[in-house]
Amino acid sequence: MLLKDVVCPYCACLCDDLDVTVEGNRVTGVDNACDLGAHKFQAGNRLPGPVRPTEKGWDRVSREEAIGFTVDMLLSADRPLIYGWSTTSVEAQSLGIHIAEEIGGVVDATTSVCHGPSILAIQEVGHPGCTLGQVKNRADVVIYWGCNPIEAHPRHLSRYTMYSDGFFLENAFKERTLIVADIRPTESANVADEFVHLKRGGDYAVLSALRAIVRGKTGSIPSHVAGVSRAQLLRIGEVCKNAKYGAFFFGMGLTQTVGKYKNIRNAIELVDELNRHTKWTLTPMRGHFNVYGFNEVCTWVTGYPYAVDFSRGMAFYNPGETTAVDILARKECDACLVVASDPAAHFPRAAVEHLAEIPVVQIDPVVNATTAFCDLQIPVAVTGIDAEGTAYRMDGVPIRAKKILDLGYPADSEILREVYQQIRDRKKVREVKPV
Amino acid sequence: MRVILTAKPRKKPLIPVEAETIIPRHFRQGRDLTVWEGNRERSLRDIFDVMVERTAAAAEEVEVILRGDVSRFKRVGEYMDAGKITIEGDIGMHCGNFMTGGTIEIHGNADGWLGREMRGGRILCHGNAGHYAGSGYRGEKFGMKGGTLEILGNAGDFAAEYLAGGEVIIHGNAGDLPGVEMVNGTLTIHGNCSRPCGNMTGGTCTVLGTVRGMLPTFRKNSTLLHGSDKIPLTVFEGDIANRGKGILQVREYSYDD
Repeated sequence: MLLKDVVCPYCACLCDDLDVTVEGNRVTGVDNACDLGAHKFQAGNRLPGPVRPTEKGWDRVSREEAIGFTVDMLLSADRPLIYGWSTTSVEAQSLGIHIAEEIGGVVDATTSVCHGPSILAIQEVGHPGCTLGQVKNRADVVIYWGCNPIEAHPRHLSRYTMYSDGFFLENAFKERTLIVADIRPTESANVADEFVHLKRGGDYAVLSALRAIVRGKTGSIPSHVAGVSRAQLLRIGEVCKNAKYGAFFFGMGLTQTVGKYKNIRNAIELVDELNRHTKWTLTPMRGHFNVYGFNEVCTWVTGYPYAVDFSRGMAFYNPGETTAVDILARKECDACLVVASDPAAHFPRAAVEHLAEIPVVQIDPVVNATTAFCDLQIPVAVTGIDAEGTAYRMDGVPIRAKKILDLGYPADSEILREVYQQIRDRKKVREVKPV
Repeated sequence: MRVILTAKPRKKPLIPVEAETIIPRHFRQGRDLTVWEGNRERSLRDIFDVMVERTAAAAEEVEVILRGDVSRFKRVGEYMDAGKITIEGDIGMHCGNFMTGGTIEIHGNADGWLGREMRGGRILCHGNAGHYAGSGYRGEKFGMKGGTLEILGNAGDFAAEYLAGGEVIIHGNAGDLPGVEMVNGTLTIHGNCSRPCGNMTGGTCTVLGTVRGMLPTFRKNSTLLHGSDKIPLTVFEGDIANRGKGILQVREYSYDD
């Protein structure tokens, strides 16, 4: 059976034009997707049911036991951490935030190790954003700063920028100017009209210099700024000012380098400055397919986008203090529920060491590095493949992902709803509203 | 009045305790105080051995002394307006948040956000301070507005972020981007730092050591001789990326070119 217009649940491009062939509850073909997306549809490595480690290996446990163990762990902790969320639906994310509130825990998402700094900067100076459709149809100058879309978001250039004709650009490849800024030559830099080769950690200084240049204050700019010549900076300033419509995309090369959110603030203020001359917008290249969704849901529910501490019953937010990496590295939590992510594969050693010392439950479709640190793993359906759900694209557009297979796994949201219900039952909360 | 709080051993000593109730005024009022250990509210006497000597007619006459391991105790001295808090060892995050008066003396190190959004009073830290000393809360437009924050050791990154008044003195080195977004007030760094005062619009920052990665958007104005030692300083104005009129005075500097 050929399924048309399937949404890809890999990265935050959320390509919604995939053709997927399904035969007998198995994906046999994926067209239009990039290699990364196609691989996810055909990946295996699924556990048959909930498992717990024993001295001899792993034992199967029932779903009821697994949920009971999770509830016991969360209710007995003095400072539980609930982390992950980037590869599941907003419906599951909403339940996770409500669970954190019920148990007085801290809830954080993978945002804190990717584009959390972007949100901090946006809270300081706002977000001159737009949809990717605007970029596709209008942008004649595109900047990719600290990101490598050809390898990380492979269809970004063909769907929205260099290789995609738009309403106002009949021959996009010729009419668009592509600028790539990075600390090393990348595949994306190879196709750029202009490559800005920065020294590592030089982003803030280069962005400051560009802001001054766009304002016409060129006098104090030295001959080189972080490896970039003054002549190139002046040239880029002119290209940006003369654009009909400019789009600034940035990745973790900017958010997670020295200076962090101040780099993003500087980029936003450069875009602000350029808007005195022409139209410019800025969009973070979000990674996981629904990491943006968590920020949306968390903001609706708590007023804050991630790293929310409910220890005292009300929401408190302070990245650097209430973010998962900091809490784990400082050994401040005494239990951890991981949902739809793999912290053991990505967190610093000190944080992972603490994961090994405390009770950990993981709700995730596949065996991953965090599995080795778990006291229990509950396998669930993959949102967008064997479970439906809503996700947010990198530009903040919500897209409903379909269920295309039925492999018998429960969705994350089903497991989380049972956990939530049991927590409320044990706490004798009388009224249970549907979430 | 002298209140001596000696921290008792805890079953989970790394779980943070939020203790904003520890300010001199509350002890003079004789209130039953509680603190939060993770998500559990505890009586102060569950966490500390409490010894009270004499009485006080006003909060100004109260000294609170913290002994034992309080390195994970946050928000001590929050909204403090009078009296003195002496911490004999290290102290956790947010010590002296929003304080308007009185003195906090820390004999050890202080964790992040020391003197966050301070409005008055004095904090003296004999050791090192973590990131964001004298800064603002996330998204705030103003950090410290008044008072004096003196750190005898080193400070972490983003010290005096959004500084809007008062004085911050760092006798050791500061980390990256001290005085970033500074709008007013005085920041003095006796040691070295990197990229000071990015995006500043006002105030004065003096670096008596070496600046690494001097930002290219500061305009060299003049030179001066600083203090009784007549230390030669180069005076810059900026940040011109932000129409800034701040003053940055540095002894030695190098660009990241």
